[in-house]
Amino acid sequence: MNYPNPFADAIDYQRMEQHYDQEALDSLNAISPMTRTQQPIVTGTSVLAVKYKDGIMMTTDCLASYGSLARFRNVERMLKVGDSTIIGASGDISDFQYITYLMDKLMTKEYNANNGQPLAPENIYEYLSQVMYQRRNKFDPLWNALVVGGFQDGKSFLGYVNLRGTTYQSETIATGYGAYIAQPLLRNAVEKRNGEPLTEEEAKKLLDDCMRVLFYRDARSLNKLQRATVTAAGVNISEPYSLETEWAFAENIRGYGA
Amino acid sequence: MALAGEDFCIVAADTRQSDGYHINCRYAPKAHQLSDKTVIGTSGFYADGLNFVKKIKQRMEWYFHQHDKTMSTTAIAQLISIMLYQKRFFPYYVFCVIGGIDENGKGCVYSYDSVGNAERVQYQAAGSGNELLQPFLDSQIGLKNRSNENETLNLTEEMAIKIVKDAFSSVTERDIHTGDCVEIYIIRKDGVECQKYPLKRD
Amino acid sequence: MFLTRSEYDRGVNTFSPEGRLFQVEYAIEAIKMGSTAIGIQTSEGVILAVEKRITSTLLEPSSIEKILEIDSHVGCAMSGLNADARTMIDHARVQAQNHTFVYDEPIKIESITQAICDLALRFGEGAQGEESIMSRPFGVALLIAGCDENGPQLFHADPSGTFTKYQAKAIGSGSEGAQTELQENYHKSLTLKEAETLSLKVLKQVMEEKVNSVNVQLCSVTPNEGFHIYSEEEVNEIINTL
Repeated sequence: MNYPNPFADAIDYQRMEQHYDQEALDSLNAISPMTRTQQPIVTGTSVLAVKYKDGIMMTTDCLASYGSLARFRNVERMLKVGDSTIIGASGDISDFQYITYLMDKLMTKEYNANNGQPLAPENIYEYLSQVMYQRRNKFDPLWNALVVGGFQDGKSFLGYVNLRGTTYQSETIATGYGAYIAQPLLRNAVEKRNGEPLTEEEAKKLLDDCMRVLFYRDARSLNKLQRATVTAAGVNISEPYSLETEWAFAENIRGYGA
Repeated sequence: MALAGEDFCIVAADTRQSDGYHINCRYAPKAHQLSDKTVIGTSGFYADGLNFVKKIKQRMEWYFHQHDKTMSTTAIAQLISIMLYQKRFFPYYVFCVIGGIDENGKGCVYSYDSVGNAERVQYQAAGSGNELLQPFLDSQIGLKNRSNENETLNLTEEMAIKIVKDAFSSVTERDIHTGDCVEIYIIRKDGVECQKYPLKRD
Repeated sequence: MFLTRSEYDRGVNTFSPEGRLFQVEYAIEAIKMGSTAIGIQTSEGVILAVEKRITSTLLEPSSIEKILEIDSHVGCAMSGLNADARTMIDHARVQAQNHTFVYDEPIKIESITQAICDLALRFGEGAQGEESIMSRPFGVALLIAGCDENGPQLFHADPSGTFTKYQAKAIGSGSEGAQTELQENYHKSLTLKEAETLSLKVLKQVMEEKVNSVNVQLCSVTPNEGFHIYSEEEVNEIINTL
């Protein structure tokens, strides 16, 4: 059996290193100009979040994919910032880790200022939006869609910002595949309540149901998720857990199914 | 969109934020009050619009401290043109209209492209629904292509609001990027009022 | 008095123990040697009048310019080191044009005065760490006259960068006498015509030479006509009424 060599077109870096040749490297640089990030590499899929009675509830799975490869299966994609804010990230994981570093730096600065006025979720959201927007203006975006959830002084906050610096605030937010599959379900659940907020149990069930659907349909998802809440009691990110799934129906599916 | 009456002006914008076929958010305002005589409407790239308005407000604040007065609508109009042109080779992807009352107490509308070309007009539609809106305004406010050439229009505030509402509900019908809610800013010589009306959410 | 100054009158950025900046004070002193300039504000407009010192019969009087236009609605009269005024007026003209360019409206008189005064203290480093651009304070005082939405106004700017609004003000060598004269004759309902006459009458009293159309310069700034320099004929007409 003759398999095509997947690396046939690749440059032989190993050989180049052995016979280190500046001229060869220069000519290589000349034909490939410097580029900025043009695609995410290691990625996380959807983030879902809703406002509910006590604050904000958010879910992500624990997968960081490398293309179609489920590369890292125990990654936390939610970040606690201060005592009343959480950031959920989809998109490039390394960019999210850089954002983690930025937030850490910001909060250290705040801690040192010690001005008795902790940064509200709105402030962190605005900061993050400006970072994202300024990077897109440099044509060097941070390749993420981020969800910021917060609860402070009795007020819930839920906002979205992406690689272009586009922002919005809403009762329900879903990124990535979730924007197609989960967002309609979330909106439907919230809107039929006519302004009456979801209870904690209802929010939990709603998000789990959505994550289950996503797990069935999104090939870059994983049945190992975390759920976070931001309430008056602070930020709580759960240990990873799994959902009950039912694959018996798969037996009967032929072709692409329906 | 914006339209000017004799001694009033209207700036209206829907509040849907969309991204392709997605509706990101049903309430993301893109009309902003700049002073008690001027309101701006932005369409195009939302993040640029938001940051552009932020910059305008900052410039207005500086102006206020430097010259001890609020910027007039015409001064804002000129400033916006210059701010847009200053980014000629990496433009703000926004299509603005501003509406307000000028120094003579008359309603006025200025319309821009993304690189600062400015024009004072009587009415203007900008954004995704502009191809649908502008001909409607040409007919109803500009009185274009009427059989009776002597027809004149004495545009009252009530008429204007009615036209704006009709315009938005019609555009909502055919333009997928328009809907959810319309905010109508009415600028009078004694201040600005904002009315909100629901639009279809489909 | 001179003894107490000796240590502190060299550095332009050094306060004396009594809290004085001597170089700035000397600059103000320099103006008192300059030619007399007068400004009178009325409800119809503002008049500026200056004395030209014709030190030689061979001197071409028209080459002495002590009243200059800043913008079509602002004029300026000077006393002291005229060359210093060039720097300030160049700056003011740029500021005025820039304001019109950015805001499509004429700049306010107070704002343009402020813009001029911002320059006055640039002999020291700026607050934002700007390099100092001058080795000494300006040696000139200005009378800035103009009309904007707040009506006709007159401002006085001195080398310390302070500016003050006046109804009538005299600067230069004859300023003490002239100011007293203005104080006695000024009233709020003065017409522009009366202000023209008053300005020349006061100049006449403080000038050593006899006033004629060549050794004075006169201008008006009115809401409708803006900045206007009087021709010799116009000046003569007023002199004849004195």
